[in-house]
Amino acid sequence: MSASSLVGVLFAGTLLATSVSPTRVTGQTASPAGVYSPPRTAFGQPDLQGVWQVVNTAAWDVQDHSGQRFPGLPARFSVPAGQGVVEGNEIPYQPWALARKQENHNSRLTADPEARCYLPGVPRITYMPYPFQIFQFPDRVVILYEYLHATREIYTDGSRHPDIPVEFWLGDSRGRWEGNTLVVDVTLFTGETWFDRAGNFHSTDLHVVERYTRTGRDHMLYEVTIEDPKVFTRPWKIRMPLYRRQEQNVQLLEFECYAYAREGPDADAK
Amino acid sequence: MRTPSDSDSALVGKGLHWRRALWLLTLGSLLIAPFLLTSAAQTQTGCPGESALFHPCAVARAKTFRPPRTVDGRPNMQGFWRGPASGTENVEEHPMTDDDNGGKSLIVDPADGKIPYQPWAAALQKENRAKYVEPNVPCFPSGVPRSMYVPTQIEILQSPVSVLILFERAHTYRIIPTSVRPHVGANIGLWMGDSRGRWEGSTLVVDVTNHSAKTWFDQVGNFHSTDAHMVERFTLVDSDTIHYQVNIVDPTVYTRPWTMAFPLRRNKEKGFRLLEEACHEGERNTDPLIRAGQRIYPGVAEKK
Repeated sequence: MSASSLVGVLFAGTLLATSVSPTRVTGQTASPAGVYSPPRTAFGQPDLQGVWQVVNTAAWDVQDHSGQRFPGLPARFSVPAGQGVVEGNEIPYQPWALARKQENHNSRLTADPEARCYLPGVPRITYMPYPFQIFQFPDRVVILYEYLHATREIYTDGSRHPDIPVEFWLGDSRGRWEGNTLVVDVTLFTGETWFDRAGNFHSTDLHVVERYTRTGRDHMLYEVTIEDPKVFTRPWKIRMPLYRRQEQNVQLLEFECYAYAREGPDADAK
Repeated sequence: MRTPSDSDSALVGKGLHWRRALWLLTLGSLLIAPFLLTSAAQTQTGCPGESALFHPCAVARAKTFRPPRTVDGRPNMQGFWRGPASGTENVEEHPMTDDDNGGKSLIVDPADGKIPYQPWAAALQKENRAKYVEPNVPCFPSGVPRSMYVPTQIEILQSPVSVLILFERAHTYRIIPTSVRPHVGANIGLWMGDSRGRWEGSTLVVDVTNHSAKTWFDQVGNFHSTDAHMVERFTLVDSDTIHYQVNIVDPTVYTRPWTMAFPLRRNKEKGFRLLEEACHEGERNTDPLIRAGQRIYPGVAEKK
């Protein structure tokens, strides 16, 4: 290891937030939702705080899909028909990757990382059927998820992705404010998460850009650009509304998937 | 300390380069070692760490210390903290062994430093370790109060309406609303309990109920029931030390209320951030224990 790379390693190890590579954010067009003027936090940011949840079937399949029995599950846990969240409905797989997606689909009952209660990656964690809560601070946005009590700290302090070979199940998130939109650049993923229960997948080269834009008092637009040159022929996008939970007493509880996996007579080994 | 879930499993995350990352962090820490030594020297001028000595010292300090404030005027406890790691081995006094680093009791009341178990409960505690998988091995949430002394980093964030505590350990968190609202319904059991906070002067007081009671206080099977009602008190006693107290009432299990108290010490490492500890994803110790005849701890329900 050269002296300069050793210094780089030490620097990155000490200040994980710091990087020598530029933040990767692809060009984005302005959101059509830009007309709503959201309230501001005490420190002047658009206020995205609250408990949010999706109302869609993307957790089952991000693309258009028919209602169908999920192999291995009782009929009452069948897949509801759903309109997809992918712009144009096509995921531009490379030929080998399309074949791999089909293999994933065929073995989805056990091959899906969710079946083992693993952290589901980004953006999948957003459209899991559980609420999440957004908190804002001057230098970061914190998103806490009911599913697996997962945590994301999205630094909005101008810091960059660490330039070290490390992988995170939820990636490394760096955010910035573009008008009323929180833009989050997410990289450094494992290659082990899927986008849904239908077998849609990515590699470690996944690069995600999320855009969170309030469109009303109780609604937020969630748009995601997904890039992965190892798997796809071009970037592709998903979009969906997020809904503010209306219950006066709403709060995050828990979905401790891997604790439930060990419970009762059906307890499964990993 | 050999604690598969608290140390090893974080290193074997399938597909993760954790060994590499931790190696880098170790190298990185060499650079900041002089700063750490400086902070250790400052700490020695504060209250001593041993609970029996720390607690009265911290009570006295709290009377005169004027804590820094957040913009909304609350004592500013934000930052990274660590509790006493020996507590996760055993909250009572325990010797150094092949498995443990040893440590003094975290219990300041009763004065003997022992959990005031009812006889049946004292017997059950002795069985727990032999019969059950230690609940932290499968990366289950550590619960309250164990999360406060589990040997990883803690981050406190404050907003005008809530205090967040993020734990690097298995990426758990606590959301503590400081606005007035009732606890969730009595039939809802939660691994991390249900927390409600309020400010009493410079102290954050947190009422914790709705425990699933599937967690232990430590690796030796010290336990409570779903009946447990805990009141925690967080008080800054110098700029880098929080006096943490937790009073535990559980008439199903104990003969009387009891209290732990210990310091949370600030981690002042520049640029420090919590990392994702994908504990469950890499965990490989539970299945062998189950094959060896141990079972998942079912918890102890309240005696009505």
